[in-house]
Amino acid sequence: MPNLYLRQTARRRWLTLIAALGLLVAGQLWLQLNDRQAFMGVWAGLAWLVHNFTPDAAAWHDLPTITYQLWRTIVIAIAATSVAAIVAVGLGLAGAATTGRIRWLRGGVRLFASVMRNFPFVAWALVLLFSFKQNDFTGFLALFLMTIGYLTRAFIETLEEVGGGAIEALEATGARYWPIVIQGVLPAAIGGLLSWVLYMIENNIRDATLVGMLTGTGIGFTFDLYFKSFRYPSAGLVVVTLIITTIAIELLATHLRQVLTH
Amino acid sequence: MLTIAGLNKTYPNHKRGLEAVNVTFAPGVTAIIGPSGAGKTTLLRSINRLITPESGSVRLGDQEIRTANAKALRKIRHRIGMIFQDYNLIEELAAIDNVLHGCLGGKTWLAGILGHYTAAEQARAYELLAEVGLADFATQRCADLSGGQKQRVGIARALMQSPEVILCDEPIASLDPASTQAVMTLLGDLAKRGIMIIVNLHQVDIARQYADHIVGVNQGRIVFDGPTAGLNDAALAAIYAKEAVAEDA
Repeated sequence: MPNLYLRQTARRRWLTLIAALGLLVAGQLWLQLNDRQAFMGVWAGLAWLVHNFTPDAAAWHDLPTITYQLWRTIVIAIAATSVAAIVAVGLGLAGAATTGRIRWLRGGVRLFASVMRNFPFVAWALVLLFSFKQNDFTGFLALFLMTIGYLTRAFIETLEEVGGGAIEALEATGARYWPIVIQGVLPAAIGGLLSWVLYMIENNIRDATLVGMLTGTGIGFTFDLYFKSFRYPSAGLVVVTLIITTIAIELLATHLRQVLTH
Repeated sequence: MLTIAGLNKTYPNHKRGLEAVNVTFAPGVTAIIGPSGAGKTTLLRSINRLITPESGSVRLGDQEIRTANAKALRKIRHRIGMIFQDYNLIEELAAIDNVLHGCLGGKTWLAGILGHYTAAEQARAYELLAEVGLADFATQRCADLSGGQKQRVGIARALMQSPEVILCDEPIASLDPASTQAVMTLLGDLAKRGIMIIVNLHQVDIARQYADHIVGVNQGRIVFDGPTAGLNDAALAAIYAKEAVAEDA
């Protein structure tokens, strides 16, 4: 019996591998993709990038402009995430099974979070562009609306992880709902909640660059401007500063997360 | 006195929790024993209405609990402390913060939200931690304490309510023998001070050693109610009878 099981498992594994390879070959034939050509194309593309996007002496003159626009982008990302986090805490409390007291509201919040989360921020930016025109506020709104969806969903799960036990214990003391939430639930969940906020700030700084290209603000617009005016070395400097900033913020967020959760 | 009369509880899955339960709890330590799923926890939680029975009466003194409105229920709950098998502490907070949570039921809405505790309340919380042998751990996070220490924080939290009754839902189920002895001795000492202790237990020997009174439950029914000395083999056979389980299966 165990031998039969092992033989069947091995057969399944081989069939899966053959099916995957078959799909790959069929896809390549259908797209008329030449592996060798594609591989060589990647190297040629990388060589072109390095040659054209390496910052030169003229690009360094643009550094003050770039850092200023980068700073604006970071501020917009942090502001959008922070405001969304405040709203999401309220929605999370209403939507979590452990803290949400009204059944239909719990369902409504979950649906709202799902809709907001699944509407891409690029689409938000384009829609909002018509109403609010090209400015920082449009970028802020696009990030804010998408972040609300993500954070509400994440906060609901974090608040549910706190568990009903601690809440029940405080109910047993005769405490009211809001003192239970503020004195019991939030302190228990705060590490997890802040961890999500830091993660979203990291993400939003990256996303704010793309939003900026669409809304004509921040570092995204600066990159777009340099790129379209063929000032590739300056555009390359934008990319370098962006990479350094996102890595620095990621390291800072990791450190803060450790401090907050231990 | 805590009096329960004609109490019935059926769960949404049609499982019978309690059936026509009549029992009176007097000061001292009362142990509720019975097989798993017999209704011990349902009985205990019906007292402070963490579970709401469909019919019957639960009275603490002259106060009816089962039909009390939200405001009255909060006041009654503040008179009844509770400790749990899994401690149910806010693990991220210090022991002293958890003990102070025992005051929340007696506070105004705003003071509760702001977590405003008077100097007297803070001093009392420290005293209670010292009383349960945790004076040196007052500012330590509960997550860093051992199971026995957490349970003692839970007892201090219950005592912070200055309760007339303490309900203990299998308080020693997760503890080692030394911690079990410490916790049960502590509960015995509290009973001597006039606090009514009602404790759910799985261990008959522990119930015999520490309880003044035993209530035996099987299939949601009280099958024994008497002094510990009266818990003989016949009574134990009735409490742990499998026929009752088979009959209902």
